[in-house]
Amino acid sequence: MQSFLHCGVVCLALFLAQARAQDITAPKSAVAGEQVSLSIAGSGKGTFYLIGPGISNKHEINLGEEMKLRGDVLRTAGDYQVIVCGDPCKSATFYVMPAKPFSISFLVHPSRVPVSQSDAVSGVALPFDQFHNLVLAPVPINFQLAAGKASLLNKTEMTQSGAAWFRTASSKSAGALQVTAAFQDISAKRVVQQVASEPCNLRLTGQRNAKGILVQTEPVHDCSGNPVPDGTIVSFTANAGGVKSTVDAPIKKGLASAQMDANGAAVISGASGVVMGNELRMGAK
Amino acid sequence: MRRFRFNSSASLLALVLVVGTHVSAVTDDAIKIQFDTAKTGPRAVEPLTQKSILRDYRGAWNSMAAALESNSLDPLAGPFIGEARKWLGESVSSQQKSGLSRRYADQNHRVQAVFYAPEGDVIELHDTAEYQLQILDQGKVIHEERVTAHYVVLMTPSADRWTVRLLQSVPQF
Repeated sequence: MQSFLHCGVVCLALFLAQARAQDITAPKSAVAGEQVSLSIAGSGKGTFYLIGPGISNKHEINLGEEMKLRGDVLRTAGDYQVIVCGDPCKSATFYVMPAKPFSISFLVHPSRVPVSQSDAVSGVALPFDQFHNLVLAPVPINFQLAAGKASLLNKTEMTQSGAAWFRTASSKSAGALQVTAAFQDISAKRVVQQVASEPCNLRLTGQRNAKGILVQTEPVHDCSGNPVPDGTIVSFTANAGGVKSTVDAPIKKGLASAQMDANGAAVISGASGVVMGNELRMGAK
Repeated sequence: MRRFRFNSSASLLALVLVVGTHVSAVTDDAIKIQFDTAKTGPRAVEPLTQKSILRDYRGAWNSMAAALESNSLDPLAGPFIGEARKWLGESVSSQQKSGLSRRYADQNHRVQAVFYAPEGDVIELHDTAEYQLQILDQGKVIHEERVTAHYVVLMTPSADRWTVRLLQSVPQF
């Protein structure tokens, strides 16, 4: 008898809960920017509340009439709560899902990279709909990297939880690297500047003049043959009779040069980064 | 007069970190957050970064709760940018016009970092949040319920903090 009574109370509660839930009929989900129809049972006047991301509306309604929510109030994806206060207040919830992809947010790093570096370039693509909601359904994003006419990467990654990414090596040639993320006719483009890596070999030449010794490098390249950028410092060191003097000179138009004060015999060397050049042995004047 | 409780306990259990240090005077309860980075990739989340994200995500929820309860835009200025800042600002403006407000209390968040970009410039969190939500019309509670909500969150680092760029609720993960 006790269990029967218990069941009766629970069943009545469930019935009432269902009856209340049926007072407002809302779609389980809707799409951002699209109109939604609500059915609100009852009669007489009531106060209607719509509460969601970016919106908190309130106005009087006639109960028992169908309500249409305009798409422009449902632009932000998320959960929306409908509350209708007659006697008593009732509520329902529905989700607004993101619309189809409209743009791609594309983060690429770095903006400047040395050539021939492994895992040096990476990018993350996030698809958004026209209302700037993150599209969480899987979207195939095509990543393309091209240096000039040469294609370095062309692969498609599905977004997971709204994000797709890649990581790859920089190419062997200095210059602009075009990086593109695309889905259907939507694309986002970025440019990574590939610059020469560290100097590979330093070849020094020198000649005496009235002021001492003029020493200069041959054109300075990295190990892939790219000219090292102007401004890279080359350090020249002259050792004359146990006296050392050093001059730092920037590369200009591919070459670095320096005037060394040395009247007697001298040994001259040069270095840039971790690379040492050949030694020059200059005789006395 | 509502009271707030200060929670400064921090504990580490397996791969789940629970930290509670920051409480706004506007909200009544400390926000509890469990943060799981076990499955985060492709970049691993360093412990200091994890701590910063926790601190700033907690601060963001405190600020959001304060803004939506007091109908003030000021608390949103630091922790939110981009779309999150935009829709929260619109929510506050809309509430100011309609005389409504929202109160978030007894917050409990289970946060999983699901994606951390290779260069560390964006992190995606999945937050299963439980809280007591009250909706008030001219200060009178018209609706109250215990809510379990799922949020997809994008946070990006700025000069001195992590900011919430996207806070989008979803039916499930």
